[in-house]
Amino acid sequence: MPTEPDNLERAVVRFCRCARANGLGSGRTTLDCLQALRIVQTAGVAAIEDALRSVLCSSKQDWDLFAKLFALVWEGPAPTRVSPKKSGKNRFSSYGLGREQTIQKLFTNSDRSDVDSCPDKAVSGASLVERLTKTDFALIPAADLAKLERLSVRLLRRMSYRISRRLRLTERRGVVDLRRTIRRNLLHGGELIELRHKKKRRQRAKLVLLLDVSDSMNPYSLFLLKFAYALKQCAREVSAFIFSTNLIDIEGVLNAKSWSDAMEKLSEMTTGWYGGTKIGGSLQSFNRRFGARLLTKNSAVIILSDGWDTEAPDSLVNELRKIKNQSKQLIWLNPLLGLPGYEPVTRGMSAALPYIDVFAPAHNLESLLQLERHLKVA
Amino acid sequence: MADKQIPSIDALIENSRTRGYVMDRSLATAIYLLVQLGKPLLIEGHAGVGKTEAAKVLASILGTELIRLQCYEGLDVNSAVYEWNYQKQLLAIKLQEGRNRELRDLEAHIFGPDFLLQRPLLKSISGEEKSPVLLVDEIDRADEAFEAFLLEVLGEFQISIPELGTIKAAKPPYVILTSNGARELSDALKRRCLYHWIDYPSFEKEMDIVHARLPGIGTELGAQVVSFLHSLRKMSLSKIPGVAETLDLSTALMLLEKNLDTETAERTIGCVIKSADDLTRVREEGLDKLLAS
Repeated sequence: MPTEPDNLERAVVRFCRCARANGLGSGRTTLDCLQALRIVQTAGVAAIEDALRSVLCSSKQDWDLFAKLFALVWEGPAPTRVSPKKSGKNRFSSYGLGREQTIQKLFTNSDRSDVDSCPDKAVSGASLVERLTKTDFALIPAADLAKLERLSVRLLRRMSYRISRRLRLTERRGVVDLRRTIRRNLLHGGELIELRHKKKRRQRAKLVLLLDVSDSMNPYSLFLLKFAYALKQCAREVSAFIFSTNLIDIEGVLNAKSWSDAMEKLSEMTTGWYGGTKIGGSLQSFNRRFGARLLTKNSAVIILSDGWDTEAPDSLVNELRKIKNQSKQLIWLNPLLGLPGYEPVTRGMSAALPYIDVFAPAHNLESLLQLERHLKVA
Repeated sequence: MADKQIPSIDALIENSRTRGYVMDRSLATAIYLLVQLGKPLLIEGHAGVGKTEAAKVLASILGTELIRLQCYEGLDVNSAVYEWNYQKQLLAIKLQEGRNRELRDLEAHIFGPDFLLQRPLLKSISGEEKSPVLLVDEIDRADEAFEAFLLEVLGEFQISIPELGTIKAAKPPYVILTSNGARELSDALKRRCLYHWIDYPSFEKEMDIVHARLPGIGTELGAQVVSFLHSLRKMSLSKIPGVAETLDLSTALMLLEKNLDTETAERTIGCVIKSADDLTRVREEGLDKLLAS
């Protein structure tokens, strides 16, 4: 490590640039680092490292990355990228997906080519809208995906907006209870000082979405994510998680300004996707980590899953019971329910049924738009 | 001002230790920067690792007031910043009724400082002699609307009250925010803050903490408790015991004047395990096994 003050500053600036290339810190922070450096530079190398860390990091992940970077830049050879973050920006595929290598592979159904050879794909005009809303996501030909996407954005936004208005209205306080107000204010000689209300303020309604992104859900995952994104964009009170073998909080992802940004963010955290499903385990980790905050007497929990579970149903039942007890409504949307002749006989699904308030399909746009009707919160 | 109490990072470490708080160098550096740069410090970490305590010890070292804003879901501006004392206002109006006072006069009177109830945020910027320490505890529990508002206050250290005008801090507070990571905080807030992550302490550090906090404890008992807690933390519990629990258990055993064996562990388990599920899990694992490791 250089010791001359001038060199030191230069080294810090260089380090900041390298840090930024790896996704640590943002625009203003080089100046902040230099400022911090001036304050601690007499206290030794360790203090400088600590100071830079305080300024540049803003999460546990950053914290861990910083250690690697610092070691690399200050003790190793010339800096290169440590994490793959921010490389190859904006290479979105034809229908607005994230980086080709990851997301597209996750979602585009490899069997899509078979679907393309379906005889009834060439439809146009008003009947197209009708047909697209009604066709099972898994069966929509690749050529129509872009159209479906535009349509779904429009329709989902409309519904989400209505739902968000319902969620907001609950913040109102009840009307003034005149009788109790007067009675209470006899204390003050009949002067109306304290108002009594008929209803206490209700807890805010919340929507919790739990999305299954495991292998078996593959054809549907993209659309269900889009559904979650549309809801989140219109209503702050929506929390969303994805799960397969473990649970990931994607609220931050859905806050992204555009769908493609959201997808890019998502592609950076694609651990544990696209494998078997542990619904019970995932719900357990949801209950433990977020249950206390998100489950209230005015929240609706929506699980989007086909119910294929690789574990024994005991833990699933257990966790569902907890959710059911702590929330107002438990909705399970199952894409398979759209298939003619489907019966929820998988072990997990049939064990889950007694705890579910609404069990509905989620295989096409039309069925997703029905959510509005199912919701009892607000 | 602050330079006198905290001349250097080493002095900070030393000072906090005499107050029973063991601060490692990186946290001390972060707090030193907070004082020197006047930037808020966001401390994240699991429950019970001493996030809140850091703010308390800073206030104590600086010899200044600690103002605490505990965040919760639904916390609104009225309970965080200020509120008019409506009852007092109504009474004042009533009292003035007979005396032909100018309406404008009356208004100025009842919307004066006498009728203002200061809540933590307003209080933190209206200090006139010394900068207080403002602790915004569990910011992740407040909703996003409040977080945005807080951002504004932390940026300018001023608050506008429509009836009174803008109040700007003569002595801006030192701000420490804590978070359990219940939700992702906004980028804007993170960018404005220095950051520190407190992990569960190593065996040595935790021993250090136990000794600093409970000077009377024997080395053997301390080591027993700390290693018991370390093996508990390795299990997948829903509420992982923090340092606070270590101290509770140590205190309990000192009061009982017992060493930690299977029997006393069973009796005092309530100090460290806080849920029925966890208790079953610990019993399944076997207390004697946990104690032995």
